[in-house]
Amino acid sequence: MLEAACVECLARERRRLGRVGAAYAWGRLIADTLIAAILLRADERRRRRTAWVHVPPSAPKEILMTRVWQDIRYAARRLQRAPIFSLAVVATLALTIGATTAVFTVVNAVLLRALPYRDPSRLVLVQQAFPQMSLGFSPPDYLAFEARAGFFEAIAAYRNREYELSGVEPPERVTVTRASATLFETLGVRPALGRPFTREDDEAGRLVAVLSDALWERTFARDPAAIGRPILLDRQPFTIVGVMPRGFTFPQRGPILNNVPADVYVPIGFTASERRAFGSMYNNSVIARLKAGVTPAQADADTRAVVRSNAREMYPVNLSGLAEVLGGSAVLLTGEVSGRSRTVLWVAFAGVGFVLLIACADIASLMLARAIGREREIAVRSALGAGRGRLIRQLLAESAVLALAGSILGLVLAVWLSRAIVALAPPTLPRLHEIGIDGRILLFTAALTVVTALLCGILPALELSRPRGEALKEGARVSAGQRERRIFGALVAAQLAMAVVLLVGGGLLLRSFSRLMAVDPGFRAERVLTLATSLPAQAYRDAASVRGFYTRLVDDVSQVPGVSAVGASTELPLGVRERRAFTLEQELQAARDLPHSVAHECVMGRYFEAVGIPLKRGRYFTASDAQQSEPVAIINETFARRFWGTADPVGERIAWGNTASHGPWMRIVGVVGDVKQGALNSETVPHTYTPWLQVSDAMMADNIVAMMRSLRIAVRGEVEPGALAGTVRARIRAIDPALPVASVQTMNEIVSRSAAVPRFTALLVSLFAALALLLAAIGVGGMLATSISRRLPELGVRMALGAQRRTLVAMVIRHGMLLAAAGLAVGLPSAWLLSRVLASLLFEISPRDPITFATVGAVLSAVTLVACAIPAWRVTRVDPITVLRKE
Amino acid sequence: MPAPLEPHWFQILLALADRDLHGLAVMNDVLERTGGRMRLWPGMLYRALGRLADMNLVVEIEPPDGAAAAGGRPRFFRITAAGRRACAAEAERLAGFVEVARRKKLLKA
Repeated sequence: MLEAACVECLARERRRLGRVGAAYAWGRLIADTLIAAILLRADERRRRRTAWVHVPPSAPKEILMTRVWQDIRYAARRLQRAPIFSLAVVATLALTIGATTAVFTVVNAVLLRALPYRDPSRLVLVQQAFPQMSLGFSPPDYLAFEARAGFFEAIAAYRNREYELSGVEPPERVTVTRASATLFETLGVRPALGRPFTREDDEAGRLVAVLSDALWERTFARDPAAIGRPILLDRQPFTIVGVMPRGFTFPQRGPILNNVPADVYVPIGFTASERRAFGSMYNNSVIARLKAGVTPAQADADTRAVVRSNAREMYPVNLSGLAEVLGGSAVLLTGEVSGRSRTVLWVAFAGVGFVLLIACADIASLMLARAIGREREIAVRSALGAGRGRLIRQLLAESAVLALAGSILGLVLAVWLSRAIVALAPPTLPRLHEIGIDGRILLFTAALTVVTALLCGILPALELSRPRGEALKEGARVSAGQRERRIFGALVAAQLAMAVVLLVGGGLLLRSFSRLMAVDPGFRAERVLTLATSLPAQAYRDAASVRGFYTRLVDDVSQVPGVSAVGASTELPLGVRERRAFTLEQELQAARDLPHSVAHECVMGRYFEAVGIPLKRGRYFTASDAQQSEPVAIINETFARRFWGTADPVGERIAWGNTASHGPWMRIVGVVGDVKQGALNSETVPHTYTPWLQVSDAMMADNIVAMMRSLRIAVRGEVEPGALAGTVRARIRAIDPALPVASVQTMNEIVSRSAAVPRFTALLVSLFAALALLLAAIGVGGMLATSISRRLPELGVRMALGAQRRTLVAMVIRHGMLLAAAGLAVGLPSAWLLSRVLASLLFEISPRDPITFATVGAVLSAVTLVACAIPAWRVTRVDPITVLRKE
Repeated sequence: MPAPLEPHWFQILLALADRDLHGLAVMNDVLERTGGRMRLWPGMLYRALGRLADMNLVVEIEPPDGAAAAGGRPRFFRITAAGRRACAAEAERLAGFVEVARRKKLLKA
């Protein structure tokens, strides 16, 4: 009925005055309802009072709630009367709470939130391993493992590959996961639209595909009729049978193998030759769900046992050496995804937490200083009967109001800041796209508000509510007693100590990062452009067409004016992942026990000159190192040194495989400088280069691993690489207009990106350290300034009695430096203890690096000195006559 | 002399004087009778009806069978004997003022 009445009023006013009337009616209805509610409540109370049935008086809880509300209103009024103070505090809190919340959103998304699968804590990644190297499963190894892995409820294999997606404009390269049909069942997630592919689809070799939600939106605008339509992957039509739900990502970033989230899922479709490929193709990842009651440790032990016994039973005789050393393990998926990011994120969180604590200490001092001015008022209240609890509550109400305002603004800031973090974070950070505000974040901010309110307000509240009869005496001066001064000093020293810890952390990370960037990667990265291409099997069926394309491309691009060298390789520096077992025709005794595995690349054109890898002995490959000539190889210095010592390896022979069974011998024709195969802080391993033109027809045409048909082109120019990009693309388009080009980046960008995580960490922590130093300096300066204004009369008297201004300035500075000393005395040992946490993030620098510690000490002292400057200058302006007249 | 009634209370009692009505009907009745000059907004209307019920001047009754419920359970009210007496007293008080206005030739007889 009430609703009908409201509707009637709205309609009536709209008839009367149109839209203005409707707006008026809305406002009037809201006001009317609120007032009526208040009055009805008053009526209710009156009714109870005048009822002839005795109603007990309001419960104590009601009295408390009324009083708390009173306190809050009073606090809000008081804060309104001190706008500068309130704004400064709210701004500081907004900044620090916002920053803390923003970092927590990252921690939440990457470390705390459950993965988007059913019961993700029961998922494990199963791996095989050679000594010193983790691998995936080869197809026959997986099939054998699957048959005997009864301790898993469900198991699936998957493998990433990049495909050309065409039929859409413009064609793009997409990541496709080839997976067993059991993948969706293992993860416990069904497509939101359509169906998953089945075992029958897999065994029959059907070309069906399930899309990610993002790809469905990009290419089909979320049209449900996409089911049943074809998409072209490497120019082969696949029928879409399903679309995964929004928010589903697989695989996750984090694990070492197959770690790029896919846009399309297709059946893994092991071919007959793959099923027989013992001893190679260890590139399938395996994910499994633990059976109820099975612990991860049990599964790990069982996996190891099954892998070893399978290898011994099934590997052909010539691979028995491999079978002996093969191992296996099962690790929790959550650990693999977030494990590597854990330290970085918790360090960042601790850093921003310190900044918040320092800010709270600053605000606590401010509030204590402000509250001291109210000593008399509080003494009166106390004398009139307000209990200590009541006084504490009143004083806490102010900090509560400030904290609430600060945290509301801080939450708004956190939304913006977390977007900035996502934009600047290294793209290898797992679950980056899941970072956002959710219920847990809001809960966190609420808890932070309460903690901040307490931290800022409890000290002044406890201090001021202590019994103090003297304040009421006639003429009692309101000033900070001995105890308050000590508290101020302790707060400032605590701030300085925390700032020291952050400064040490930031300093260590910055030095580590600069050491990292000073590492010589082994090649010359300036003015080199790189691109990635991949030739689809549909259009390039045989070895001849693949060879033809790349040979023509390298020739064409060499003709471009401004280009000094062009080459191509299966992998680029800082990203060489391929490892192969080898054997030597003649071997030093000392080298026999070294692991016989090398990094390997197939190169063509003038690759070494394009990338800038220097020749140390022998020669580079030439055009004559082709299919009909003797197989050759080039090795790096580390390989030469480890296996031949100071002897010249040029002329020696090497073959893939092991002593018992190996491929054709290749003659070493040159030794080149060492190049980092992985991250800048990784160790350089022995490396072999072989000519791409000497690869067998079968390998060249292979479309399963497809290594030889997906080359990375490197172009060294005399001009900036950006200027060349357009021309090179045009040359590629001229040869094959439908071929998409991906990963166009300069070598410098690749180097820079490889250091993304250390850079990010160093910047973040340094930012926090700088902020902490600023806040601590403000704390010092503020405290000294307050102390001086309180002591003005005393200073005036001293000056009148003959004290030099110099002496008084020295006094101020001594006070400040004593605080700095106290801060260092607590901060440096704390940093000493805590810096161990950073050990895993540091490169070539000890967590207890003395230079860093000494520098931090000097910086803090210098900043404190500067913070003393303004109060010291004020002292020099004191006019003793004016001060004494006031007394 | 009894205390004067609040003007909107008087109008509500007047609306209910000759028949039982629900809240919306009271609102419309008052609006029409006062020529749009007195608009009872729902919150205050129901609060007033509550106060009148406390003072036993009106009483809430069961809706009659077949009462159309457009938007919620309709709440019907009926004036009590005390309510009629209070309304009549107020009407007489106001009539007294009208008489004075007539004597002073402000109103035609």
